[in-house]
Parts: sequence; C-alpha cells; structure tokens
Amino acid sequence: MRGYGTVELDSHRLAAYTVPYPCYICGGGNNFDAELCRHCHAPMALAQQAAQQNVQPQMLAALGPSGAGKTVYLGMLTDMLSRQDEPLQVLARGAFSIQLQQQTLGALARCEFPQKTPTEPDRWHWVHCQVLRPRHRPIELIMPDLAGEALLEEVDHPRTFPVIRAFLSKCAGAMILIDAPRAQAGESDEDFQTMKLLSYLCELESDPRRGWPTRPLAMVFTKADQCEDCFDDPAAFARRHTPGLVQQCQQRLRRHRFFAVGVAGACGFRHETHGRMHVPLRIEPRGIVEPFLWLVDQLRASC
Amino acid sequence: MRRSHKTLLMCGWALAAGGVWLALVWQGYTTLGGAAAVCALCVMGLAGGPALRVMDRWRGGAAEPLAGEGPGSSGSGAWVRGSAGRTAPPRPASAEGSLVDRLIAQGRVALLLRPQIAASLTEEELWRAQQALDEAMAVVPQGPVLLRPRCADQLDEETAAKAQRLLGVEGYFLDRYCVTNRQYWEFVADGGYEQMSLWDEAIWPAVLGFVDRTGHPGPRFWSHGMYPPGKEDHPVVGISWYEACAYARWVGKRLPTDPEWVKAGVWPVLAEGSWPVQRRFPWGDALDRRRANLWGSGFHGTIPVQALPEGASVSGIHQLIGNVWEWTSTPFGVWEPPGRRIETDLPLKSIRGGAFDTYFDGQAHCQFQSGESPLARKHNIGFRCALGFCDIVHVPPGAAEDGAEEDASARHQVAPYTAREEAD
Repeated sequence: MRGYGTVELDSHRLAAYTVPYPCYICGGGNNFDAELCRHCHAPMALAQQAAQQNVQPQMLAALGPSGAGKTVYLGMLTDMLSRQDEPLQVLARGAFSIQLQQQTLGALARCEFPQKTPTEPDRWHWVHCQVLRPRHRPIELIMPDLAGEALLEEVDHPRTFPVIRAFLSKCAGAMILIDAPRAQAGESDEDFQTMKLLSYLCELESDPRRGWPTRPLAMVFTKADQCEDCFDDPAAFARRHTPGLVQQCQQRLRRHRFFAVGVAGACGFRHETHGRMHVPLRIEPRGIVEPFLWLVDQLRASC
Repeated sequence: MRRSHKTLLMCGWALAAGGVWLALVWQGYTTLGGAAAVCALCVMGLAGGPALRVMDRWRGGAAEPLAGEGPGSSGSGAWVRGSAGRTAPPRPASAEGSLVDRLIAQGRVALLLRPQIAASLTEEELWRAQQALDEAMAVVPQGPVLLRPRCADQLDEETAAKAQRLLGVEGYFLDRYCVTNRQYWEFVADGGYEQMSLWDEAIWPAVLGFVDRTGHPGPRFWSHGMYPPGKEDHPVVGISWYEACAYARWVGKRLPTDPEWVKAGVWPVLAEGSWPVQRRFPWGDALDRRRANLWGSGFHGTIPVQALPEGASVSGIHQLIGNVWEWTSTPFGVWEPPGRRIETDLPLKSIRGGAFDTYFDGQAHCQFQSGESPLARKHNIGFRCALGFCDIVHVPPGAAEDGAEEDASARHQVAPYTAREEAD
C-alpha cells in the first residue's frame, strides 16, 4: 500500500541539497557538499572559494604534449613566486592549491622528476592563487595541471574530456609548452602536436574580438638547458626548428611571444626496479618567471 | 718673398710625405713583428712548451719586481673606454718585464717553482715566486676524507654508510679563488687557444669551435675576445672542461680531483677511533645564504670572486659553495653505489659546489656532486686549479737569506692523489 503525505524539511542542510551549486569550470549543477563536479570532475572548492571571497578568478592554461614539462613548470613557477621577492608573488588560495607545488618540489629536491600526471581529471592538481604585484591590483588566477595525454585525446576527439573543453573556453590566456630538445632533434611530432593544439584553441573560441585569436599565448620551449642557443633567441630557435608553428602563430594569433625555460641543469637515467628513470642531476631554474610575467601583463592590458 | 713661400710650402709637403712614409713603414714593421710573434707562439706551443726551455736564455734580462701587483693581477694598469663603447682590453702581462716577472704577473708561478726550473732561479726570484704562490693558493693538508654519494641524504642510514668511502688525499695547494675573466684573458691573449700542446690531442678538432659570441677564440659569453665590461673579477664561465684543463696546464697546475675538492671544503678532523668529523659547508653545518651566492641570495648572477669572504673555508678558500659550479678532473658518478649509478649519453665530468642559480640547499653542499658534458660551455660553470705539494719545490722561510742551494724537491717525496686512486 502506498501512502502520500508532506514531509516538512526540518533542516536547512536538507534544503541546501535542493539548490544546485554550479561548477566554476563547466557551470554544471552540483550538490553543495560535492568535492568534485559530477560533470567535469573539477574541484568544487574553486566555486566555493569564488562565492565566499566574492571574486571571479581568471583562468590560465599550461598546455602541451605529454612529457613537455607542464607539471615541473607549474610546480616550479608557483614555488619560485611564493618563496622570494620576484616581480610577482603568488599566494595560494586553499590547501589544495599547494599540492602541486609540494609534490613537484619534493621530487625535484630528491633529484627525481614528478610522476606523470594521470589522465583521469579527478586526479589533476588545480592551483587557485592570488597574484600580487607592487602598485597593481591583485589578480585571482586558476591554473590546473592538465594531463598531456588527455589534452591530445580531446584535441583529436573533441568532447572526450568536457572539463578541458569547458576550461579552455573560459581561459584568459595560455602557455603552450614545447619540448626544445625534441624540436631541435628534428622530431616533427612536436611541431604537429603544438599546431593541433593551436588549431583546436582557435576553432574552440574563434570570435575575432573575444576568442583565442585575441587572447595572449606564450609559446614556451622547455628543457632549453639541453640546447643552450634556445635561450639566446627563442624566436629564432622556433623559426629554425618549428616553422609550421611559427606560421600558424603569425596567421592566427595577435598576441604571442616565444620563451625558453629550463629547470634541470643536466639529466641522466637511473635503472630502477620498474625500469629506466629519467633523473635531473641538479635543479637550476632559468627563465621560469618571464612567460608568466608577460601573460599577467597581457591580462592586465585586456582588463 | 714669393719664392721663399714656395720653398716653405715644398718643404712642408716633403715633411708630410716623409711622415706618411715613416708611419707606413712603422705600421708594416709592427704588423710583421706581430705576425712573427704569433708564429713564434704557435711554434712554441706545438713544440711542447719550449718557453720553459728557453727560460734560462731569457733570464738574462733585468728582473724588476712589479710593485703592488698580486698574483691574480694581470699587471694591466689603467682601464680605458674604447670608441665602440666596449672596455678596452688591458695590456697583457706578457708585454713587459723579464720572463720571471711576466710569469708571476700572469699567475704562472707554479711553472717557476717546478724543480727543473727552480734550480736555475736566483734565491730572490724563488722567494718572490713562493710569495706569489702563497697569496694565490691555500694549503690543503694530507689526510683522509669521507666521500658520500651525491644523494646520500635520501638513502637510509645503512645504505648510506655502506656507500660512503674513506679516501686518502695527499697534501696539495688549491686556488683561493676561482679563475677570473681577467686571468683567463691572459691565457687567451697569450695565444692559449693556438698552443696545441696545451690541449688533449683528441679534442683538437673541437678547439676550433671554442669561440665567443663573435667567433673569436675564448669563452662562450665573451665578445671580440674580451670579457663583458665590469666582469673582470667575476669567475670565468662559458668554458668547457677541456678549456679549463688547457688553462690549468698553461699556468702549470691541474684541475683538482673530486676527493681533493671535497677535502678542501669539509675540512675533516680525525677523532680517534671514529670516522673523520666533516663539515657540510666550508663555514659549518648549516646553510647560510648570506655566505654563498645561491638562488635566493639575491644576486641573480655571478659576483666577483673576492665577495662574501665570510663563506671562506678554514684554510681561506673562497666561494667553494655558490657563485659557479667548479669543474674537477674526476668522472661523474664514480662514488655512487652500484644500484644507483646514473647513465648518460656521454661520459660526464664531475662538477662541485653549486652556483648562483642552484635552487635547493641539498644540492649546494660540499658532498653533492653533479655532472656535465666535458664539452658543455655553461653560464654557471667555472673552475679553480690545484697543485700537488710534490710538483714544486718548497722554499722554507728565510731561505733567501741563508742562500741554501739544496734541491728542495727532495723534501717532498709523497705522491699526490692522482688518477691511480680514481682507477681503484
């Protein structure tokens, strides 16, 4: 027998479940106590912090093929900017924002590289931080450490990873990381994959006034310590080794610049039980802050 | 009156023509003289350093002391600005004085103190050379040193204890400061890159590629064979391991081995019945960024070699930690336990001490070893030279007055720490 009746909600918590909390990345509705968005797996803490602090963080992407060095770059960047008086300073918002920095720097201090970022979005590290600069208003930024394989999968098969699509649609700017030694060695894959990424971005948001053609893009050659001439003139290096990418940048983008960065002074291989491991012989960051500084300047100019 | 004017004018023309002719002849002689000097240098270099063999003949010149010049000084005199806005090069120390004076001014006293050469020097010259050596180099006494693998901090206690090695090091001298741009310029100006006897034969093809930004022989970050303005006292960087070795040979020294370098920094103290007590840093056991130029010290680049004297070692060796990594003669990775050996595409050479951009404290202490390709010419790698006690004669205090003529080399019969130990 089935009975009908009205049950009075005697708790505000129960009432809260009826109100959808939108994800900051994809905008999908979630419960107020959800840890991750049930649509895109982005952390709901981003939305909660934005609501509590009444801020609208801008988003910045670090993109690039698998193994380009996104995790090391982001971890190093956040650590450098949070440790000493640089032209910029970064203040992490929330404990989860320090996770990437902690894991990356812990590994580098042991003369190891951090583990490869898993493909599953629920295991990615998101950094929400406040960028402080003397005589400027603070900027709120969100920078996730996306998996390179997931990125390429999304580029090849759009809508495979809704979180990537949603995130890149809303990004205010991006850094595209390119493995300099591989580009120098003539591996055309590096050129093609970066061109695919660029093409994906420009088609994702192609609005001539607000789309990717007008958003700032820093093209960053990573591991440049292994090809020193890259530091001397990154743009010339790009013209020599990634001509297709240079052509695309000139045709499609209004604001782009080439940079070179390096974290490890030299590298080697160590045999471990699970196979051959790539290890840094020392850590000496070089050129890390410049691309980020340029992007932040561009974001300010856009505002 | 008119005629006298004409005569005067003609005389004037004749004088001017004579002047031009003289200038041309002088220029020609200078050029020829320069070319002859370069040829002589090249021939001397190729013949295996006959400069030493002809020393006795040259000693006939007056030996005038260079007042007020230290061993590291080039004897260059005042600096002037060139028309192109670059700093004009100093005069090479080889340009004036007797050979002994020139060698002392160039910092090549080790050559003078070789037993074969020292025997033909006067007591006064020998004494001056010894003084110059004492100013430029510090003594690192004979004794044991404990070498740990590069990442010993990450190993468990038992593995770390098994991996460490106690090695004996013979007494030697180590440069108090890293080799500076100015000192290295003396080597370049003296035709060091053309004296093939200074270079390993295997590397001869690469020597042609050791050029600066403008294609002149010299360190990678120089221009027109000259170091960047204002950086004369900064450590020379942008030099490969082979260039460091060639310079060391030119000054009559060598690169330190790994155990020698570590011993100078950790300064082992032997306590009876235990391992030597060693420092983590030359000044003690805790990192202090005010004593060394590392990332976070606030300098963002190299600094003069005399800076931060509070970071010196017990024996007065400066900047063993920080400013620039230092090449040693030892291959990279030889102290690693078997399970943690690191493979590289090329055999690397060991570098020690950390640099201005070394990020982690754990990678900037005396026991940490990193490696670099011997052909790499990096912005943060320099070097300093070493010299075994047994390689030179020792002039005891007061010898100049006593006039003792015994062969001083006989007093030092110990063998230095050499490749023999490394091969073990």
